[in-house]
Parts: sequence; C-alpha cells; structure tokens
Amino acid sequence: MTTQHPVNRRWNMRQRDWAVVLWIAFLSAAVGFFVLFGLVDPLDVISTWVDKFDIGVRLAYGLAFAFLYLLCLLSSALTMFMIRSGPSRGHAKGEGRRSIPEIHDPSQSNPDIDGEDWK
Amino acid sequence: MSQMQDAGSSLYRKDPKVYPRDVKGSFASLRKLAVIVLLGLYYLLPWFNWDGHQAVLFDLPARKFYILGLTFWPQDFIFLTLMLIIAGLSLFFVTAVAGRLWCGYACPQTVWTEVFLWMERWVEGDRNKRIKLDASPWNANKILRKTSKQVLWVGFALWTGFTFVGFFTPIRGLGESVVTFQLGGWETFWLLFYSFATYGNAGILREQVCKYMCPYARFQSAMFDKDTLVIAYDEARGEPRGGRSKTDDPAAKGLGDCIGCTLCVQVCPTGIDIREGLQIECIACAACIDVCDQVMDKMDYKRGLISYTTEHKLSGNETRVFRPRILVYAILLLALIAGVIWSVNHRVLLRAELLRDRNALYRELPGDIIENIYTLKLINMDSKPHHYKIEVLNNENIRLLVSPEPELEPEEVGNFIVRMQAPEDMGRGSMKVDVRFSTLDEPVIERTVSARFLLPFD
Repeated sequence: MTTQHPVNRRWNMRQRDWAVVLWIAFLSAAVGFFVLFGLVDPLDVISTWVDKFDIGVRLAYGLAFAFLYLLCLLSSALTMFMIRSGPSRGHAKGEGRRSIPEIHDPSQSNPDIDGEDWK
Repeated sequence: MSQMQDAGSSLYRKDPKVYPRDVKGSFASLRKLAVIVLLGLYYLLPWFNWDGHQAVLFDLPARKFYILGLTFWPQDFIFLTLMLIIAGLSLFFVTAVAGRLWCGYACPQTVWTEVFLWMERWVEGDRNKRIKLDASPWNANKILRKTSKQVLWVGFALWTGFTFVGFFTPIRGLGESVVTFQLGGWETFWLLFYSFATYGNAGILREQVCKYMCPYARFQSAMFDKDTLVIAYDEARGEPRGGRSKTDDPAAKGLGDCIGCTLCVQVCPTGIDIREGLQIECIACAACIDVCDQVMDKMDYKRGLISYTTEHKLSGNETRVFRPRILVYAILLLALIAGVIWSVNHRVLLRAELLRDRNALYRELPGDIIENIYTLKLINMDSKPHHYKIEVLNNENIRLLVSPEPELEPEEVGNFIVRMQAPEDMGRGSMKVDVRFSTLDEPVIERTVSARFLLPFD
C-alpha cells in the first residue's frame, strides 16, 4: 500500500522558524553550559557570592542552564524576527528592494529653485 | 547576472550610497543642539571629578560604579536593573507620544553619523561635490580630500574609543598611559574596538544600521497609534506634483503644491522618498520638513507640505495627546522613577555578614562560659570613615568582643573576628541572636543581622 506524503501536515514557515530557534538556542546553551562549568565550579561561585544565597549545586546547575537557554533563545528569536521582518517591499520579504527614489536637479523645471547654491 | 544588476528587483543588489544634502532649519538646529549636548556629555563627563572620584566611572575591577556622587556596589545591582527598565519605559513613552524622536535626535548612531557627515562635508563639500568626487578618477585632489577625511574620521573615532575606555578606567591615568605608550593590553583592545565600531557604524554603515540592523526600528511600530507624531507628506495638498515657475498658477496647470524639486529625497539620510508614505526606514530626523518649508517659502506657498503630524490629523480628525497607553506609560514611569529615587536615598550604607567559624561548634572557657567565634565582613559603603558599635540585641547574657577595632575608611571592606561569650546555663542547643551594627559618628547608619549561637546540646 502506498501512502501519500502528508503534505498538509507539514509545518508552515512560522512553525519551522520557531523549531529552528528553539533547537539552535538549546544547542548553543548546551555548549555554553559545558564550557562554563568545565571552567567554573558552582560551589566556588556560591561561596563568594555577594549575598549569602546558598541554593545548592543542583539548583545552581539548573538555573545556570535555564539562564543560558533564555539568553540564547532571545538572541535566536530576535535574529529570526530581524530577518523575517524589515522594510516593506524590502529584500527580507523576498520581493526585491524598493526602487531608488527618483532624484534630479531641483532647478529642473523649477526655475526659481537653483542648483547647488540653493538655500 | 543581468537580473542581479536590475536595480529594482534584485535581492543581492548593493545599496546605492546615500549622499545626504546639507540642510538648515529649525529641526536641523535642534538636532545640532542635541549632538552638541549629548556628545559634550559623553566626551567631557569623565574629565570631571565629584567627591574625590571621577564623576562617572564604572570601576569593574573594584566592583563599584560611581555616578555623580553616588557609589553603587554589587549589592545595588537592583538599581541598575531598575534604571534599565526606566530607560526602556521612557523610550516606549516618548515613542508613543512623539514617534521616533529617539532615532532622529538622540540615538548614538544618528549623533555620531551626524558628526562624521560634518567632517565629510568640510573636506569633500556638499552632496553634488561628493558625488562628483566619488565618480572622478583618482588624482591629487581626490587623494588629498579622501586622505584628509580618513585622518579626521580615524582621529575622531580613536578619541571616541579613548573616552569610552575612560568610563571604565580613570581617564586621567589612561591619558598618561597613552602619552607614555604604557597602555595595557585590555585597554588597548577596547580602545581600538570601540574606535572601530564608531568608524564602521558612523562612517561606513550609516543608514544601513537603522534599516537592517536596529531592532528598535522594527519594534517601534508596536508603540505607534493613530495619534502618534509622525513625519508625513500631505498628499492631498501636494499632488499632482510638477515643476512650475513661481508666477504660474498651480490650479490653472492642474498641479498640487509639490513642485517636484526632489530636495526632500536629497536631504534624507536614509535615502527614501517621504512622499511614498510612512516608511520603516524613516528615522524622523525632519530634514525633509526643513527643506520643504524653505521651498514653500521660496514659492510663497504655505509651509507644512511635509510636517510632523498624526494619522488622525491627516484624515481630518482631532489628535488626542492623553490616551490610555500614554497615561499607563506615564504612571508606570513616574512610579518607577520615584521608587528608585526614594530607595537610592534610603539605602543603608553598611553591609555586615556574620559567618560562624566552621571549625568548631563552640568552645568551653573557664568559669562555665561558652564561646562562639564568627568571621565578620563589614563594608562601609559611605563616602565618610566610620567607627562602628556592635551589640547583641535582647540578650544581656551574651558578651560580644570584636578584634581589631571596627573602624573603616570610606568604601573600605574589613574583616574582623567576633567572639560571643555566654554562661553555659543560658540555654541548650542553637539560639538565634540579633546583632546590631551602628555608627558611633554622624550620619547614623545602622543594620541588624541574625546569627546562630550554639550551646551544648545535652
């Protein structure tokens, strides 16, 4: 039996965008997490914290990952937004850029407005 | 390939260079004033002292921020967060009321680009001269002008980078290091990095930062409504546009008030045609208003063909300044500012941390006395030296000894040993004690912290 490709169940562009944003942010946060805690022991940080704020190692790891993930998510989502939005009729929407505004000498067909020395 | 060169439709066509024409007028003067005030603050502020410190210094190694007589410690991090929220909210408020006022007059990108443009004009001349110079073959004149411009740009960018580092390292010492070629590695890096960023953004990228890189330009439309101040061309009055002599009667020729001189396009720093309607690229610098008003004067027409207006006004309705979103922004902003001012003024300029000695629970002394030992970290956040009194509250049985004498210089952090002694029969197990720290001199600063006092458990 042949099954038809479920085209209608595929994600639309917005869903794909968000999937990429969430996944890439996760990967970046994971890399950041391993590098960070390869160099820093959370216990050291807790003991030298400016306020007495003993949260325990497990929670410190969890919060640090959540923080890194949020930061990466923000960056990732903002990048998506900047690329997907933009000047209307701009290349961001794939429709080519607005044509260059027509410019000519102000005095052209306006004899009272002379060229370069116009004030 | 031919498609890529098609100016109107290619995705990869390079942006044509924008040569903004010089403009004079009330809004141009306002922008000039904003540039002078804002850059004046930026370049001069680090050179002033306040209470023996640089007026504004973000001393990262010492973890202290000095802002006009106030010292912020890491414990005051909340104020920095609140100030950032206030800055963001102010931007919302101003945008909702007056549109992209920030972009047109106060954004560092606008301000520095303006200065780089001044230098470009001094050396290469106004718009037409610059276009001709760029199109001309390389000769002695072109080399001289281009080199002079680059020298000015690079010099100004380096000064900007130097000032930037001067907000983080005392600027006078930094100046001496530069003169004696003893600048540290990190200082050199940040000086060059910020100089490069200034040169690149204000000299090379310019309007492309606003059009393609700035997130605020994309978000600001969410804060707009039909009563927000925007720069708009009065299409009903201006169209159909066309050239004419001053003596011509536009009505007889079937023309509107726009004479089609294209000066509004030529003065635009982002290279758009405002007559096409409100566009995301418009940074609301009002250069087109200034130039169009002058053209209208010259033609003896009424000013305001391009003007600061609102969508409601353009469609013949009345503009409402006080509307719910403005009031909500204003109330939130006022509440936050008042809250920050109040809490900064009521900060307790003393921190105390009392940590139990982890090596021993308690010590038994002759005479049935139990002693607990603590490490005391005392931070004098005030700008005056203080001598402190340390006492146990609500428990007269506990005797407290401190060594050395708790005296601290301004902004000094001191470590002390605290011994608390109590008779063995005072109680059993762990007991909470409140310890009060207070200054013996003016102004009176006091703080109370809690600690555990341990007695034998059996």
